[in-house]
Amino acid sequence: MSDSTTVSIKNQNKSAASSLLKKNIRKFMNNKLALFGLIVVVIMTVACVVGMIVGVDYNTPNLTALKTPPGGEHILGTDTIGRDLWARVLYGGCYSIFIGVFCAVMSSVIGAILGAISGYFGGKIDQLIIRISEIFQAFPQLVLVMMLVAIVNKRGLSNLLVIFVLTGWMTTFRMVRNEFMSLKGETYVKVCEAFGMKKSRIMFNQILPNVMSPIIVSTTTNVAFFILQEAALSFIGLGVADSTPTWGNILNAAKSVSVVTNQWWVWVFPGLAISLFVLAINFLGDGLRDVLDAKQQ
Amino acid sequence: MLKFILKKLLMIIPMLLLISMIVFFGLQMTGVDPINFMVSPETLSANANNVEALRESLGLNDPLIVQYFHWLGNCLHGDFGYSFDGSAIASIIAVRMPYTFELAGYSLVLSAIIGIGIGIISAIRQNGIIDYVGRVLAVLGQAIPQFLVGIILIQFFSIKLGLFPSGNRVSPEATNTFVDAFVHLFLPVLTLTIGMVAVLMRYARNTMLDVLNSDYIKTARSKGIPEWKVYLKHGFRNAMKPVLVILVFRIPMLVGGSVVIESVFSYPGIGLTMTNAITSGDYPVVLVTTLIIAAVMLICSFMVDVFNALLDPRVRLGE
Repeated sequence: MSDSTTVSIKNQNKSAASSLLKKNIRKFMNNKLALFGLIVVVIMTVACVVGMIVGVDYNTPNLTALKTPPGGEHILGTDTIGRDLWARVLYGGCYSIFIGVFCAVMSSVIGAILGAISGYFGGKIDQLIIRISEIFQAFPQLVLVMMLVAIVNKRGLSNLLVIFVLTGWMTTFRMVRNEFMSLKGETYVKVCEAFGMKKSRIMFNQILPNVMSPIIVSTTTNVAFFILQEAALSFIGLGVADSTPTWGNILNAAKSVSVVTNQWWVWVFPGLAISLFVLAINFLGDGLRDVLDAKQQ
Repeated sequence: MLKFILKKLLMIIPMLLLISMIVFFGLQMTGVDPINFMVSPETLSANANNVEALRESLGLNDPLIVQYFHWLGNCLHGDFGYSFDGSAIASIIAVRMPYTFELAGYSLVLSAIIGIGIGIISAIRQNGIIDYVGRVLAVLGQAIPQFLVGIILIQFFSIKLGLFPSGNRVSPEATNTFVDAFVHLFLPVLTLTIGMVAVLMRYARNTMLDVLNSDYIKTARSKGIPEWKVYLKHGFRNAMKPVLVILVFRIPMLVGGSVVIESVFSYPGIGLTMTNAITSGDYPVVLVTTLIIAAVMLICSFMVDVFNALLDPRVRLGE
């Protein structure tokens, strides 16, 4: 008897959850901008990955066709030393998107874990972690990148990833910490504590799911943030090495005034690629926020 | 409250010390020999003794710890040392610091007014025309990399139209300093403001919407309080806290953004000084500029805490 009731309650929960999911998906589908964002993100990512797998030639200069405008053999034209821009934008997209996604996910994970610990336990641990986060916050990213570049002695992708994750977790951390501080006073947490549930279970299985929505939204928008950050660093010449194309690296060409005025396609297309991708990510993040934020339902 | 502020303020000192240590020893680990930037390779091999004497006089032969405390002691006396090309860092900072403050300050004020204003209006008139236009602009402003905005502005305003200079802060033949400053600041400030407004507008709108959807707003409305009072007293005041926090949080990013923008517009502020010092391996300048930027960011963080404590008693009572 009791067995069947628990099963039926479980089933009920399951169907309730799936109908909530269905409702959310429907809501998301109705949000045209978010849908547009999702489609653009998927198309661009797939295009870049396919380009990389097919192995488009991004590195061999075509010496007979320097600075050719778009059209003909080279769809987007060639850059100042005759490399095919279409291939470079595709290949660069892979790196840029990878940098964005990897850093956003990793920094959210770190931020969420530290934020949970800090907010739940409070006291000395909280103070310590806050101090650490402030030190990281205070540190100019530029100098960190430069130091690491100089110490490792090469301008590599991994340097950038490490720096971005190290300097990127604080906003998520603050948000999760504040949420935890207000949520730990809730009755359900008190009930869990009274039942003698393990602290780690309360933190990660009971409270964290309630904070998940803002974390997902901030992770999405962080992808865009890191892509832009990488572009800025590569633009002033401190990012990924020139041999690895990223959208920012390709844009580096726009530092020269003659390129800006005479070869517009060299900076317009990678610029468009970054802007479109970031735009789409932001739409997606907005849409997710609208769907996931329980207060608005 | 005073105790809280004092405690937070005192926290800044050990943090700055720690950061100065990290930068100092980190830069030592880079293994770049500053001598190489000062003396040509030929002189280096020809006058080994003189070079050794130079090292000695610059203190490059002392143990690291001694060098660190020596440097720190000098800094505390207001003597920031000399850059490797011989000019006093204190005077470089004195000239360039105000330039960066001008750039960042104008952008901050301008973007706060525009961003929060439009954000609040679009939350109140949700799905209205201002909301729609604002959202499009915010989204565009956030999607286009800031340096690209700078390049486009240069391309349009200074190359095509020739209205504003494409860089620098002062022109030697300027007669009216006010006009000169305005003309030089216009494009960089505009660039930074576009980026900031985009973020603030979005954030102010979202926060205001959150607040307007909350129960106490409904309560206030049901009590028959006039609409404008509901928005201003009940909505705006509660929405302000997270928006102010984000605004102050953005100042470090503004400083960081101005590093990039200064390099786009070759605007001679602290950021450009730091970038140039990094690429040329000018340690003393890198150290001081890093510390200054770190100090600015710590002070901003302190301000966030104080704001939070002022607006939310739970924070200061919890301490």
